[in-house]
Amino acid sequence: MTPRERADRRRGLLLLAPTLAILGVVTVYPGAWVLWLSLQHRIPVFGVERFAGVSHYAFLAGDPRFWSAVWTTAVFTASSVTLELVLGVLVALALAGQRRGRHLAFSLLLLAWAMPAVVTAKLFEWLYHPAAGLLNFLLGARLNWLGDPGLALPAVVLADVWRTLPFVAVLAYARLLAIPAELVEAAQVDGAGRAATFRHVTLPLLRRILAIAALFRTLDALRAFDIMFVLTGGGPAGTTETLTVYAYRGLFQMLQLGFGSAVGVVVFALVMTVAWAYVRLLSAEESRA
Amino acid sequence: MGGLSPGGLALLLVSALLAGGCTELAPHAGPITLVLKHARILGPADPFPGLLREFEAAHPGVRVRSESLPWSSDEQHQFYVVNLEGQSPGFDVMMLDVIWVPEFARAGWLLDLTDRVRPQEFAAYFPSTVAAATWSGRVWAFPWNMNVGLLYYRRDLLAKHGFQPPVTWAALADQVRRIRAAEGDPTLEGYLWQGKQYEGMIVNVLEALWAHGTGLLGDDGTVFPEPERAAAALGFLRRLIATGVSPSWTTAADEELSRRAFGDGHAIFLRNWPYVLNLLEAPGSRVRGRVGLAPLPGGVGGVGAGSTGGSHLGIARGTAHPDLALALVRFLTGERAERAMAAGAALYPTRTALYHDPALVAGNPWLPRIHDLMLAGRPRPVTPSYLLLSTTLQPELSAVLVGLKSERRAIIDARRRLDYFLASNR
Repeated sequence: MTPRERADRRRGLLLLAPTLAILGVVTVYPGAWVLWLSLQHRIPVFGVERFAGVSHYAFLAGDPRFWSAVWTTAVFTASSVTLELVLGVLVALALAGQRRGRHLAFSLLLLAWAMPAVVTAKLFEWLYHPAAGLLNFLLGARLNWLGDPGLALPAVVLADVWRTLPFVAVLAYARLLAIPAELVEAAQVDGAGRAATFRHVTLPLLRRILAIAALFRTLDALRAFDIMFVLTGGGPAGTTETLTVYAYRGLFQMLQLGFGSAVGVVVFALVMTVAWAYVRLLSAEESRA
Repeated sequence: MGGLSPGGLALLLVSALLAGGCTELAPHAGPITLVLKHARILGPADPFPGLLREFEAAHPGVRVRSESLPWSSDEQHQFYVVNLEGQSPGFDVMMLDVIWVPEFARAGWLLDLTDRVRPQEFAAYFPSTVAAATWSGRVWAFPWNMNVGLLYYRRDLLAKHGFQPPVTWAALADQVRRIRAAEGDPTLEGYLWQGKQYEGMIVNVLEALWAHGTGLLGDDGTVFPEPERAAAALGFLRRLIATGVSPSWTTAADEELSRRAFGDGHAIFLRNWPYVLNLLEAPGSRVRGRVGLAPLPGGVGGVGAGSTGGSHLGIARGTAHPDLALALVRFLTGERAERAMAAGAALYPTRTALYHDPALVAGNPWLPRIHDLMLAGRPRPVTPSYLLLSTTLQPELSAVLVGLKSERRAIIDARRRLDYFLASNR
């Protein structure tokens, strides 16, 4: 390293220092604190404060409610993100292909995204109403949407997809607008049909933006809380209880701060692992391109 | 808020002298503000602002600021936990769900009122509400309003088919079958109750346990002290759904979902709280004048009893004005305020005498009947670990109701989990 490079490096670190300090204060410190809490029995109501070692983690390893929450979180994340990406792209294509009323459609799309999750949940509570709900009326059935252990999680996924699909659609739509018309025309001149054009021209160009949308949506879905908390409270039989809901119950209702923190640490580790995997995937893609 | 004018100061000093020991003016002599945290009050006419102005008029130099809590009980509890763990909570008087009193007392968040309560002061309240305000032999709150689980029935339908309100669960199931067969209306459900995975389901399970002659907590703190009877009670609830006495959507039903279906005339029986009565009897209600009230049935080895609920008023231990806060609590739980709340806000009083008050009975002829049902009600377990207990049990019991777990399995699993948490509380 030349002296000049060394000086540059030093200056770079100096300029990074404030960012690192702020990150340290707002994420590393609380994170370390939660990790420390998770190694303790800490129950303020009972004045309990003693070291527990890894006993909370050991309990979680054999805790069916915890594993059920892990499973629910995984199924919820995989199904809601997949549906959001597929439907989001379809909506973006429809929007881009529309000649009239594009602004209106766009605004309506954003409405669902702008709504707070709690409001969405209340709305869907009515749609899913067993006797008076719109959904059962349309289906001509009397499905027990929120009370049947086989239907409750799909119902929650559907509500989440409705709410967050616009996010994917808007991103994909913006990218679609930036695709030069010549590219599509060239493909068509070469004899590509609509499906082939989409597969070989549009989709590859959407790839990066979809990867970023998937990253955001996955990290959100892994921490999903309010939609199931309001809609089902985690029931029936715990079938819609995600890890975050379980952590909330441990922290704010059972008031077991140590135990609740242990669940929180697991959520954190999960989110970090997935984020790391995504970033690896994205950078591998970049170096290939 | 601007500074105090000399005239205002003089007025304050005079009023402080007049009010005597009741007011405790700080040395800086500014007006004292008491902050009262409570859930939003529903009802035809909210008497609350008027009551607070009345209190202020009687206590010059004191202002009461009432602040609403979040909507749901879960969020209210979270709000208190977060704010009371710090040293200055920012409020003086707080509305408490009865099930939180022992927990908050144990945590040291409530002012111990034992030495401030006058002898005989609590004699005017329902004994079960006083029991819920007392923990570890000391008094932590004043009973404010009350609830009890009741059985609503369609008087017209029962009369038409020659039935009396059922005294046993077997009779209720039998009446449901016969009335539905005779009516031939596929939209008419039998018995509605709350089986969603939440606190309300725990209340329904408790009532089933009592009807089966057992309880949730034994005297020594054992969970499900009689597992065989508990299994029978859970099996009974499951069968209500499995045999169609209750609709399948009972597993998603909370108070409002079940209340609406009954209010629309789509059910014969409903288990719910007294607030429902005012809505069922409101002008425009489809079942107005066709509803009857009865105690919850029993007869499966035990006497039927409704679970009591409601809210208390407690004082934050960190308050700077304990005497004034207590004066406010006394005023709001006093006869005058409870009467106004009963008349305007559909909140049922904790003072027994008001249920026979001629003016109130004229507005709500059901009061004497509800009095008897309240008196027969039983509190949920009074323990600082109540929420821990309830939160742990909810998914297990819900699994029984939807048929995913056997009663015995659920009881074993719930006990195992509770052992871990209750052990770490010690």
